Formats: sequence, C-alpha cells, structure tokens
Amino acid sequence: MTGFLDLYSEKDTFLHRLDPRVKLLAVALISVLAFILAELLYLVVLLCFILLLLVLARSSYGKAFFALKFVIRFMILITLLWPLFDRSGTPILFSIGPLDITEPAVWRGATSAVRVGCFATVWYILMFTTSQRDLVRALVKLGLRFDYGLALAISFRFIPTFGLTIESIKDAQRARALELDRGSILRRSRNYVSILVPTIVYALRTADTLALTLQSRAYGAFSNRTYLREIRMRASDYVALTVVVLILLLPAMAKYICGVRI
Amino acid sequence: MQALTLKDVRFRYPGMSEWALDIPSLEIRQGEFVTVLGPNGAGKTTLSLLANGLVPKSIKGEFEGSVEVFEHPVPKYTVSQLSTLVGMVFQEPESQLFCMSAEEEVAFGPENLAVPRDEISRRVEWALDLVGLKGLNDRSPFTLSGGQKQRLAIAAALSMKPSMLVLDEPAYALDPMGRIELYSILSDLKAKHGMTVIVMERDAEDLVEYSDRFVLMANGRVTASGPPREMLMDPGALRTAGVSPPQMAEVASLINLRRKAPPLRFLTVDEAFAEITINTHHHSKGESH
Repeated sequence: MTGFLDLYSEKDTFLHRLDPRVKLLAVALISVLAFILAELLYLVVLLCFILLLLVLARSSYGKAFFALKFVIRFMILITLLWPLFDRSGTPILFSIGPLDITEPAVWRGATSAVRVGCFATVWYILMFTTSQRDLVRALVKLGLRFDYGLALAISFRFIPTFGLTIESIKDAQRARALELDRGSILRRSRNYVSILVPTIVYALRTADTLALTLQSRAYGAFSNRTYLREIRMRASDYVALTVVVLILLLPAMAKYICGVRI
Repeated sequence: MQALTLKDVRFRYPGMSEWALDIPSLEIRQGEFVTVLGPNGAGKTTLSLLANGLVPKSIKGEFEGSVEVFEHPVPKYTVSQLSTLVGMVFQEPESQLFCMSAEEEVAFGPENLAVPRDEISRRVEWALDLVGLKGLNDRSPFTLSGGQKQRLAIAAALSMKPSMLVLDEPAYALDPMGRIELYSILSDLKAKHGMTVIVMERDAEDLVEYSDRFVLMANGRVTASGPPREMLMDPGALRTAGVSPPQMAEVASLINLRRKAPPLRFLTVDEAFAEITINTHHHSKGESH
C-alpha cells in the first residue's frame, strides 16, 4: 500500500545513485532549457534525450505508463487546442466556420506540446529515481530549514496512513447505509461530510500525539543538530553536474550570444 | 535512589472541576518494574505525561506539588533535557512514528541531542537489536506490524539512553503474542540494563510475572499498591479500581467464600489445578482415616 502516490521504486541505476541535489538541479536546468529552445526540432531532440533517461531509470512499466498517460494526453490537448486560440499568421490551412486554422499556429501548438512533455517527463524521472527521504534530505542540504524539511517528510510519511484511514471510515459509514456514489452532486457532497468529520478528528488526534512524541524525542533541543546520514558528492556526481550545466549552457550561449535560432 | 517521586501532586485540566490527578505521595524505585492499573479516565495518561514534564509544560492546567525524576525536580528542566532520563512510548503506534525509515526513527532523538554521527550509528544498531528489529533499518515504519511498530517506538526512546521508560498502554493495539513480546523486552531491559519501567495498563493478567509492583488508580487517585500476585488475589480491590480481575482469581475467591479451610490461592489454570488436586487429595486422605 505504500506504493500509492509514491512513484519511487528502488533500483540500482546511475540515476538512482546520483546525489539528489544534482538531480534536483539537473531537472531544474533541463526545465529551463525546454523554455529556452524555440525550434520544434531541438525540442524533439531534448524530448528523445529525456525519454532515453526514462528508459535508463528502469522504472516499472506500470508506473512509467501511469505517468506518461497524463503527459501524452496533455500534449495532445495542447496540440489540438492551440490553433483554436492562436489564429495569427498565414497561410490559413483551413477554416472551421469562423475559425481560421493557420500553419504557424499549428507549429507553435506542437512546439508547446513537446515543451510541456519535456518539462513534465523530466520531473517524473526525478520522482521515479529519488526516494522522498533523499528528496527531503537534499532540500535541507540545499538550505531549507530543518523544521520545514521535517514537516515535508512527515506529510509524505502520513499520506498512506491517512489514505487507509479515509478508506476505513468510508467502509464504516457505508456499513451504516451511507450512500457515497448515488444521488445528486449536492447530496453526494453533503454525504461526504460524514467522512470528513471523523477524518479531521483523527488527524487532530494524530497531530496531538505527534507533537508530544516530537517533544519527548528532544526535538529542537540544539540548533546544531547532527545527522546520521549525510549526502555527499562523489566524483560521478561532479561529472553529471558538469554535463548537465553544459547541456544548458551551450544552447543558451548559442542562442543569446551567437544569435543562432534554436 | 528513587526514579520517580510525587509529593502532593494535583493537576486539573482547564475548565474541569475535578482533579485529573490527586496523588499525595508516590515513589518508584530505580530499577523497579511498576504497572499502573486503572480504567479509562483514571489518570494514567496524565501521570505518564507528568514524568517528563509534558504535563504541565505542554499540556497546560492547574498544577501543584512536586515531581522529581532521579532526584531532578522536573519543573526546572525542559522536556528535551528530561528526554535523556525518561523515555516515553505512547498508546497509538501509528502516530508516534513519523520518519520514513526505522533507522531514521531511532536516530531522530540522538540527532536532536547533537550526538556525534558514529555514536548515533552505534546507538541505532544497539537499540534496534534490543527490541528485536535488527536488520530492519531501511524499512518504512508504515510497513511494520503493530507489535514491531511499538517496539520501534521503544527503540526510538532507548537511543536517547534514558534511565526510565514510561509507556502509556503500549499493548493497546496488539495481539496476545505481540503483547507478550513487548512485555518480555521490557522485562529484559529491567533485568539486563537496570531500566526503570512504568507501564500504564487496563489489563493486569499478562503483566503479573513481569512486574515488581502493581499500582491501582481510579479517578485520579492511587487506591492501592503492592506485589502483583497479592493485588490480583483480591478481586474486590481490583473491581473498586475499575479493573477486571483474572477469572481464576474470581473462581478462587468464590470458592474461598464457602470454605472453612485455609483459602485457596491461584491465578492461572495450572495453579488452580495444582492447588485443587493437592487440597482434594488431603481431603480424601482425611476421609479414609
């Protein structure tokens, strides 16, 4: 049950072994690159590169399919809808009633779709290859306050717990003849109140115990708290970092300094 | 040395007219295994939270009297400082584990106390081993069984090297096997590490063989205190405190009501069998002469 909402699967690939900070930075840089590139061809090359990374991440087909399903749907939607709203340019390919579909708009739609595809897929790769634990560690290491890191980690940790609680509350209320799937939307949403109230009560009680536990475990005792596990950059992390920075820098320089259209 | 000393302690939750706790005197020796018995609302939880200062520091209310832990007056210290003396384990296994791996859970306390890294690492291995979770370092607490979760909570308290463990109904959500495992770990901690153990419970039977002393509580007051067997042999006192006596003790007391001979004393089926066969044996011998 821990699997739901957690896209991470434990594998031993270079993407998994990479320092989470490098991965975060790489994903951020590649996202920026997707916005710098303006030509469809180059964006397609970038998308292919990202898809290659996805293959190298060796995530399970189920999870990859689950993720890509959304991305592809979104891409198709953008491609189809873009020309309907952006009607500038010539030549006009065809007209649907008063709507003129122009050729440049179709290209721009496709470009935006691929751009969004790059952007989304690369973040999915991060989630596939980085455990929530490492992600939080990386963020704290990158300067996020430990309190916020802890809050984030706790919310990740309690997602499945609350998921199960809501399920059992639903079952309990259904056993008392509560209808959740029938009736008008208004009626259904009113019925959900009887799920919501016990859930909130449970959440508050859990938070109470959690607060007592944190205090009992000396939370906040010293500002110079130590850490059992530290993430450390290895040679391969520096190599990866350099490669990623170059992947961003070269096209950016070509575009903004040399004025190449890419 | 006394591990816990309460003198003229009274505590009242805001807006309540009744004292949640009203204990003129309670002393628990170092190295003692004490079970505090009482029904819901007897004040067990309040008493347990008093031991590391959560009451009245975090849970506010009207407080009077003095509480000392290993001769340290509790009000003078913060809850964090007391965490190296008193380890707390709560009732609900799910809500006191908040890390993404067992190892992080156990390391959390020492990390906060700024313990050096290799020492934390040693303590994690030591504590996980003590509670029988060796090798489960990377497991998510969410995937552990109820019993394992409670033992992990104990390990997380142990890694701060306390001298006393206070557990508030730790076996509440456990099956009988999990309960026995939990109690025998606590008993080992007492025997091998001189740990003072205070367990708050509603059900007495499983704890007879592990406890040095039973303390009965009702309505915030201590109603009786003594060796576990003697306490259980007196179903009347247990019932006044709202604790259900072991069935065998009830049988013994019912038989004793009608017997002129010395009272029968047994708590388990085996003991009952032994006691009754010996007595009937004597009886039949007497008749034959």
